[in-house]
Amino acid sequence: MGSISFDNVGKVFGAGAGALVALEGITLTVADKEFVAIVGPSGCGKTTCLRMVAGFERPSSGNISVDGKLIVAPGPDRAVVFQQFALFPWKTVRGNIEMGLRNKNMSLAQRMPLVDAALKLMNLESHANAFPHQLSGGMQQRVAIARAYVLDPAVLLMDEPFGALDAQTRVVMQEELVRLARLNPRTVLFITHSVEEAVYLADRVAIMGRRHGRIKAIVDIKSVRLAEQWDQLERIEDVMEQESFVHLRSSIWKSLREEK
Amino acid sequence: MGFYLRMRRAMVALSTLSALVVAWFVLTTVTGLISSGRFPDPFATWAAMRQLVSPGYAGSTLVVHVVHSLTLVLGGFMLASTLGVSLGLLMGWSRKAEAFINPIFLLLRPIPPLAWIPLAILWLGLGDAAKIMVIVIAAFVPNVINTSTGVRTIEKTVFEASQMLGTPRWRFVGEVLIPASLPAIFTGLRLSLQAAWTTLVAAELVGALAGIGLVLNVAQQDIYPAMILSAMFVVGVLGWLMTLLLGFVERRALAWRTA
Ligand SMILES: Nc1ncnc2c1ncn2[C@@H]1O[C@H](COP(=O)(O)OP(=O)(O)OP(=O)(O)O)[C@@H](O)[C@H]1O
Ligand SMILES: [Mg+2]
Repeated sequence: MGSISFDNVGKVFGAGAGALVALEGITLTVADKEFVAIVGPSGCGKTTCLRMVAGFERPSSGNISVDGKLIVAPGPDRAVVFQQFALFPWKTVRGNIEMGLRNKNMSLAQRMPLVDAALKLMNLESHANAFPHQLSGGMQQRVAIARAYVLDPAVLLMDEPFGALDAQTRVVMQEELVRLARLNPRTVLFITHSVEEAVYLADRVAIMGRRHGRIKAIVDIKSVRLAEQWDQLERIEDVMEQESFVHLRSSIWKSLREEK
Repeated sequence: MGFYLRMRRAMVALSTLSALVVAWFVLTTVTGLISSGRFPDPFATWAAMRQLVSPGYAGSTLVVHVVHSLTLVLGGFMLASTLGVSLGLLMGWSRKAEAFINPIFLLLRPIPPLAWIPLAILWLGLGDAAKIMVIVIAAFVPNVINTSTGVRTIEKTVFEASQMLGTPRWRFVGEVLIPASLPAIFTGLRLSLQAAWTTLVAAELVGALAGIGLVLNVAQQDIYPAMILSAMFVVGVLGWLMTLLLGFVERRALAWRTA
């Protein structure tokens, strides 16, 4: 299980004259195993939303809960994939992936199959004993994703996870994520600047407006994807050429443009 | 560094040093431009060094002096590093601890470690305890400063990743906080080792029963420049060797940055 619910959430940074209203009246529910992407202009409060679910920030008003439980602190039930990977550079790939499981007091015999499966899932088997700096950006982000997946979290939180990658690697990672989502569906809250990425990956896309960080519209992608059978298509560029895809992309794009 | 590059650097270093020895020889023995009363020639220094090795000088042989000095310096250094790194971690981690401890630190820091020698001797006598105390005071400071700076410059996401993974407190200290500050900790250790060695030699000059500083002190009273030079040479070589050893440990410990 893993559903996220934002109930009339507001966030104010600072106090008094210098106070900044970052978010206001955010209400959004991400159902169990649903993939929701948030898009919006820079500074509209996307990261703040995600950080509150992670437990790094507290809402100033309203409630955020996961599976009905209010969030009080960060924890392994809400795994985060950071934009800058945030791996531990002094730990090997295996050491990084294993850390969360060791924290759950799993014995070596219990962890081994899980870590091996995560390495295999992310095509990292041959680099299990490498240190992060020996890996390319795409591989480092795969380690970060494996580290999050292996926790078996109720929800996965990803803040522009592919933002630091070059275009080709990015496409590979997007395809990988779709493959992963089919193999092992999760509740995902995904932040991105790229409308294409959002439409390709998400079941629903939430569009945020600039003023006072509100959700402006929520666009359903899943029904279109199922109706148009995007899943039959192997490659990302084939999906992106579909008329239905182009249509969704441009309508979200227009909605965003009004914000600038 | 590649093998050949290292060989080349070693060759260059060797030729510089040889040139220096030749110049020394020319200026003293050959031309007599520098009189042997002021500055000893290579032969006199060599003789003094042999005398120091055996039968010995200032009450003991070289080995005894060196072992004595090294024991004190390493003991003091380890004590100072353990205390200093721990305090640095605490001050870097907790704003509260920093607010409490920093004023004391600011008050004591401008006092040169050597200025503690009189008090140390008054409290603990001329023995080893006083020297350890002064070494600890001197070697402690760079550890605290570098470690706490190291902790404070750790990226926020490293802490957040560790929280997100549910890392318990002690594992956090051992597997996140310390490794993340390790590069800075080693900078502190290097400065601290230098401070410990400098301070020890100075403390032994003031009063000691054995040790390389005592050799210097006695040689000065005996007006024996060749012995002074030999002892200085020993001080230099030992300092160099210790730094080399620490550098070796550092490269092993930080292998994850370059491996
Ligand atoms: N810790 C903080 N203290 C003060 N203000 C903050 C803090 N974090 C975010 N803000 C402000 O809140 C607003 C929303 O920031 P946030 O990082 O959530 O935006 P974003 O949508 O993720 O932007 P981007 O697309 O550029 O990443 C911004 O105006 C930002 O300056
Ligand atoms: Mg952001």
